[in-house]
Amino acid sequence: MAFVKINNVSFTYPNEANPILKNINLTIQQGEFIVLIGQSGCGKSTLLRHFKRELHPHGEMTGDIFYKDCDLEQLDSEVAATDIGYVFQNPENQIVTDKVWHELAFGLESLGVDSQTIRRRVAEMANFFGIQKWFHHKTTELSGGQKQLLNLASIMVMQPKLLLLDEPTSQLDPIAALEFIQTLHRLNKELGITIILIEHRLEEILPLADRVLIMDEGSILFDGPPKEILKELPANHAMITALPAATKIFHQLSGVGPVPLTIREGQRFLSTQQVIPSHLPPSKSQNEKNIVLEAKDIAFRYEKNGLDVVHHFNLQVKEQEFLTIIGGNGTGKSTVLSILSGLQKPYRGKVFLFNKILKSYSNKQLYQQYLTLLPQNPKTLFVQKTVHQELEDMARLHKVSEKKIQETIHLFHLTHLLNRHPYDLSGGEQQKLALAKLLLMEPRILLLDEPTKGLDAHAKEELAQILKDLQAKGMTIIMVTHDIEFSAQYSNRCALFFDGNIVSEEEPRAFYSGNNFYTTAAHRISRELLSNAITCEDVVTLCKKTCV
Amino acid sequence: MKAFETFHPIVLFSFFVAAISLSMFFMHPIYLAITIFSAISLNIALRRQLFFKDWKLYVPLFFLMAIINPLISHNGQLVLLYINGNALTVEAIMYGIAIATMIVAVMLWFSCYNVVMTSDKFIYLFGKVSPALSLTLSISLRLVPRFRHQLTQIVQAQKVIGMDYTTGSLWHRIKCTMRILSILITWALDNAIDTADSMKARGYGIKKRTAFSLFFFERRDGFVLAIIILLFVSNFAASFIGTTTFYFYPTFGAVKWDIGSILFYSSYFALLSIPLAIEIKGALKWRSLKSTM
Repeated sequence: MAFVKINNVSFTYPNEANPILKNINLTIQQGEFIVLIGQSGCGKSTLLRHFKRELHPHGEMTGDIFYKDCDLEQLDSEVAATDIGYVFQNPENQIVTDKVWHELAFGLESLGVDSQTIRRRVAEMANFFGIQKWFHHKTTELSGGQKQLLNLASIMVMQPKLLLLDEPTSQLDPIAALEFIQTLHRLNKELGITIILIEHRLEEILPLADRVLIMDEGSILFDGPPKEILKELPANHAMITALPAATKIFHQLSGVGPVPLTIREGQRFLSTQQVIPSHLPPSKSQNEKNIVLEAKDIAFRYEKNGLDVVHHFNLQVKEQEFLTIIGGNGTGKSTVLSILSGLQKPYRGKVFLFNKILKSYSNKQLYQQYLTLLPQNPKTLFVQKTVHQELEDMARLHKVSEKKIQETIHLFHLTHLLNRHPYDLSGGEQQKLALAKLLLMEPRILLLDEPTKGLDAHAKEELAQILKDLQAKGMTIIMVTHDIEFSAQYSNRCALFFDGNIVSEEEPRAFYSGNNFYTTAAHRISRELLSNAITCEDVVTLCKKTCV
Repeated sequence: MKAFETFHPIVLFSFFVAAISLSMFFMHPIYLAITIFSAISLNIALRRQLFFKDWKLYVPLFFLMAIINPLISHNGQLVLLYINGNALTVEAIMYGIAIATMIVAVMLWFSCYNVVMTSDKFIYLFGKVSPALSLTLSISLRLVPRFRHQLTQIVQAQKVIGMDYTTGSLWHRIKCTMRILSILITWALDNAIDTADSMKARGYGIKKRTAFSLFFFERRDGFVLAIIILLFVSNFAASFIGTTTFYFYPTFGAVKWDIGSILFYSSYFALLSIPLAIEIKGALKWRSLKSTM
């Protein structure tokens, strides 16, 4: 008996010419851990929603879906609600109530379960997830990672057999994401729960998956175990860039034998290659340029009697530099950006912009000519009904010429999106639109607050390209991020923020080869052989050079 | 956690209903003295730091109200002096003080209520009446801090693009505020779609909801609840008989000191000092537990 069976399912959204799902056939066995991947807009979220009757998207659907040999449409509504659980992308939005314990009980309350049973099931799950410590807390006080664990736990109290998750870790920092994925792995191994997970951070998840589905333009392009992906995927398919570092290196070196997925397997593979230990020259720095932004001995706290979030903070930013500041979650990295951009005032220390104290600029001058800050959530900038109106609105505010708008549209590849509603864009597209809006003002320094959060590999590459273009045109870029890989690949200088100040800063090659733990996957794989290779490209170039 | 707070919400709620409703109606000097004394002692027990801060508010309020009455009311027989031909009487002054005492006492009771009856207890009580209403309350309590957080984010983002609502002409400020609100609402509605999906996905609307809670009704809760009801009824009876009535005009009535009245006074005192008694008992118990450890 197949656990879930999808027969010839096609689906078209209203007012769309082309179907988003095309003749999908799929059989899922109980207990499988399936990772569903694909570029944004390929229909993976739409497919996932088809497994959950309550969340079926509006539109025209053909074909059948069976759950335990019963047509999903005919399934008893109580069984449908409990047996199939769904975790959404945004940890905030799916929390309904104000207290952790109440949230855990919510589903069971809805089903009219009596208090004694709820008490027992909630206790069980709180134990499994280690929620006891914050069981009585308010849901607004939790961290992003805790929120997402709570969402998972409040699904688990309903004892589902099938768990569907739509990019659950995309809004989390790497450590919380790892914890979440490990919890999923436990649920699968210890309780035998079938899991279908959409994910774009594949480094950790792929080694744990039994089966991978790759979707491309509404159909399933690949269906098999993760080690087989390279055999069947076209050699230059866009999803290759999303694969774990070990797999990418294996692929680019045209390796033979078992495909490595984890760091350890990657190290083992590399040791079989004839690589002579070698060294790369350090990346180009902007040392000779002028200082455009400087922070001297900054101290800041939010409350009078609170702790310093930032103290003894010193930083110099050179013109046309791309600086990334990395560091743990909730340590005050975003606060640093708001201080540098003048949104928060430090209680001690000074910020200098082009050798003049920041306070001496008027807000208008400052934000229109000198610097701009891309907020973490681009939705805080959207007011209009279409992308085009968004840009025009900004142009009207700051008297920007039509020519400049056209240039910006071109630079950000927004032409095909002009008539869409900003809220209908994908995360990456929203990010681009927000950036385009801000850059109509022609600032000289661009501050970005975690711009790669929630973006897939393709969108990240596109963002990097745009940032590189801007930098070439003379823009200075300061970015706060968790994304080590992105920082290693594209920035000129990296700084580690810890305990309120910058602990170390260097050009990326020296920076990441100096760290043992806080470093890229490629460096962890190649550390034994290559002293300062930090990206997959570095490893591949060095290996090819020494092999020849 | 204080000892009184650990009682079942229904006990706590009934106590405050009884204390506040009786305090609001009894203008008898003995009764006023009892309620203000109990309210102050409970405040000290439960709120300590906050209470000593609140004095700055309560003392001026008390005097303000005490002064207003003799200025507008000129009844009474004991005239102190005449101001612009209007009599300033002892009765009016005393009546002003009585009203001020009563209002301050009620406010003090409410401030204790706020400490003891936290949102989840309140929601739980409403859940007994209507599960839908209690869920609405719980959702709103989650949304308020969330909106506040989103609002700060929006304000900062808009400041960077020159839409700072704190500077510029009045028209500019209005425009900025409207813009910020518009973004907040659109964003909130967008988030609400997810929340609705998440509720639906967890079977909301399939069956009649039950209301789960973490509260237990123990034997001691029943005991204390019974005492509260008993004492409330006896005080109610007192007001029927007229023990709680006291005249300020045309001149003061007499305070009765017969056995019956004293018993009624004590029953009022007993009712209002229930939480304090529980606190003291709890504190003593902890001390003895500590010494035997």
